[in-house]
Amino acid sequence: MTTLLPSPTTLAALAKIGLLVGGLMTAAAYLVLLERWIAAWVQDRRGPNRVGIPLTKIRLFGLGQPLADGLKIILKEDFTPQHVDKVLYTAAPLVILAASLAIFAAIPFGSVLPPLNIPGLPDPVPFLVAPGLDVGVLWVFALSSIAVYGVLLGGWASNSKYSFLGGLRSSAQLLAYEIPLGLGLLGVVLAAGSLKLDAIMNAQAESGIWYVFAQPLGFLVFMVASFAEAARLPFDLPEAEQELVGGYHTEYSGIRLLLFLVAEFLHMITAAFLIVILFLGGWHLWGVTGSGQEVTWLGAALRCGVLSAKILAVIVFFMLVRWSWPRFRFDQLMNLAWKVMLPLGIANLVVVATVEEFRPQLLASLGAGWAQGAALAAPWAVFFIGWIGAGLLTPSGTDNRPILTRSPLDAEHGLLTNTSRDWEKAVR
Amino acid sequence: MNPVGLPPVSSGLLVAGAVTAAAVSLWLLLPRGSDRHQSRSFYLTQRCGMLLGVVALAGLATAGRRLGSLGEDAVFLTVSIVAVVSGAATIVSRSPVYSAIWFALSLAGVAGVLLVLGAQFLGVATIVVYAGAILVMFLFVLMLAQPSGLAPYDRVSSEPLLSAVAGAVLLGLLTLSIGRLSSGTLPSRAGAVETLATTAPAALDPLEDNHVARLGAELFGRHLVAVEAAGVLLLVALIGSIAIVSRGELDAVADRHSTASHAPTSHAPTRPEGIA
Repeated sequence: MTTLLPSPTTLAALAKIGLLVGGLMTAAAYLVLLERWIAAWVQDRRGPNRVGIPLTKIRLFGLGQPLADGLKIILKEDFTPQHVDKVLYTAAPLVILAASLAIFAAIPFGSVLPPLNIPGLPDPVPFLVAPGLDVGVLWVFALSSIAVYGVLLGGWASNSKYSFLGGLRSSAQLLAYEIPLGLGLLGVVLAAGSLKLDAIMNAQAESGIWYVFAQPLGFLVFMVASFAEAARLPFDLPEAEQELVGGYHTEYSGIRLLLFLVAEFLHMITAAFLIVILFLGGWHLWGVTGSGQEVTWLGAALRCGVLSAKILAVIVFFMLVRWSWPRFRFDQLMNLAWKVMLPLGIANLVVVATVEEFRPQLLASLGAGWAQGAALAAPWAVFFIGWIGAGLLTPSGTDNRPILTRSPLDAEHGLLTNTSRDWEKAVR
Repeated sequence: MNPVGLPPVSSGLLVAGAVTAAAVSLWLLLPRGSDRHQSRSFYLTQRCGMLLGVVALAGLATAGRRLGSLGEDAVFLTVSIVAVVSGAATIVSRSPVYSAIWFALSLAGVAGVLLVLGAQFLGVATIVVYAGAILVMFLFVLMLAQPSGLAPYDRVSSEPLLSAVAGAVLLGLLTLSIGRLSSGTLPSRAGAVETLATTAPAALDPLEDNHVARLGAELFGRHLVAVEAAGVLLLVALIGSIAIVSRGELDAVADRHSTASHAPTSHAPTRPEGIA
């Protein structure tokens, strides 16, 4: 009979959950500050630099700003408009935040701890909340598709035009970009031979070749798709401020708005984690971290540090992109997803599968060095061919005039009516 | 470890009673002809239905076999009750959007059950495929198509009695037969199932390390033909849908050509650019 005391495994899991949730919430708060700093830097102004330690005059470069922001938004009135569907209106922010946090059950945030020798706790302890989950990548997918519900329900339950448009745009966009995201991911899964994110990092550390070098096309597709999944700027149509006020969270205020905003930042952090873990080697850095499973305390700290630094770099990249790219139009967004990213993702998958299939034969006939070279050259060749092909096949300029005819048959039948008078008639 | 909480044969009576209660409860709860939302008898029926539902759930839960540790049982019962209750709410609720949400919750419960039982891939795939893709598509269409609600006749169940009885009979038969299979009193003529039960590896650890690898080997080894057939079927469906869409476009063009000799009166193929 088991005792009522939780086992060491449970305690370790609880400690990891505490560490992760605390870290993520703090990170989200300070990333807002970072985003504002970067925005200010890009726009050549000063940004928040006043708030320091409360009740003193110490400024500390504005590091107290997240506290002030958080307190302010929590103390705002939590107003529920009369016209909303109360149940779903309340549930939407909870769903999105819970799903965005639960994603991290399968995402490692470091390598392993050195042996602790606690009875009942299998050594080494991985920096991962659910180490037994063999389907880590799919878990991330499942939970991020649950997060779509938050957006969709928030938009629908608000019962207002702006929210509704935001919700619709968001769900269409997320559905479209899940496919290239999955295709980019499949190449990595195929090469690493595992759905566990820590196993994927270990595979990169052992070979020393990060998948960004082995699968450049997959990296490109995955990164673009994760920008879209996180609804960051070139793809932020769901909440395009200039068109939709705030998109699906227009009607929210106070702490429920805060939940939505935190969930959005968590999406970006998740995307950064995935990019680093899948393609940028995770905790691995040549000559610094080593590659085995035996680590000292210093090594474990170093690996956590390397992983965090890479993630921060990716997040800074996300933020710089936000202030340097204009937003896509919705048809451009869909064209990019279905006509560019989907074929490129399939091309990447095919070349990776071919390389992995024939790797043993290559090794046997060419020797280790040449085989590795060939296995790297093929994806790069496909990368450049794909890039050039996509560039040649998609028009560089866009025609903003309304197009009435959609199929080539219309031209055949003499129905090409692109004059403005006909357009006005058609609209009427 | 035994999967679903299954009854030993002796509890057949309990299962029968619980299933009957479930049937009556569903019959009481299913939406009927007139909208009697405010009337007293409506509330009474609703309350009776819910009470009977709780009784049925309790009966099924006690008839089932325990999994092992207390915590495991508690988690299993919680997720399975979530699955069953939200499944019932799916067919009972009158708003299609709410139905879809309840269905999603039910799928989440089913995924939870599968995760508790160690079928990780199946559990997560349920969420990815059903809740993540299909249901989001449903919601998308529902929200686009029916902003102002449905006609009354669309919100009632057309054959409440028959459907409740059919569901109850199916549920009872399945529970009893699967319970008999798992409790070992298998009739000898079902030899195939027996050999399968004896050759299957006994009591795998649910947190088996190579879960997905084993699943893949099984799928692409013993069941290769089935997997390939399913793939071909999906491809055919894909081509068929594209064919239907382009046929529709042809017709629209022909229509416009024959009727409107001047400017077209609307964009006939309203399919958004790019979603093909």
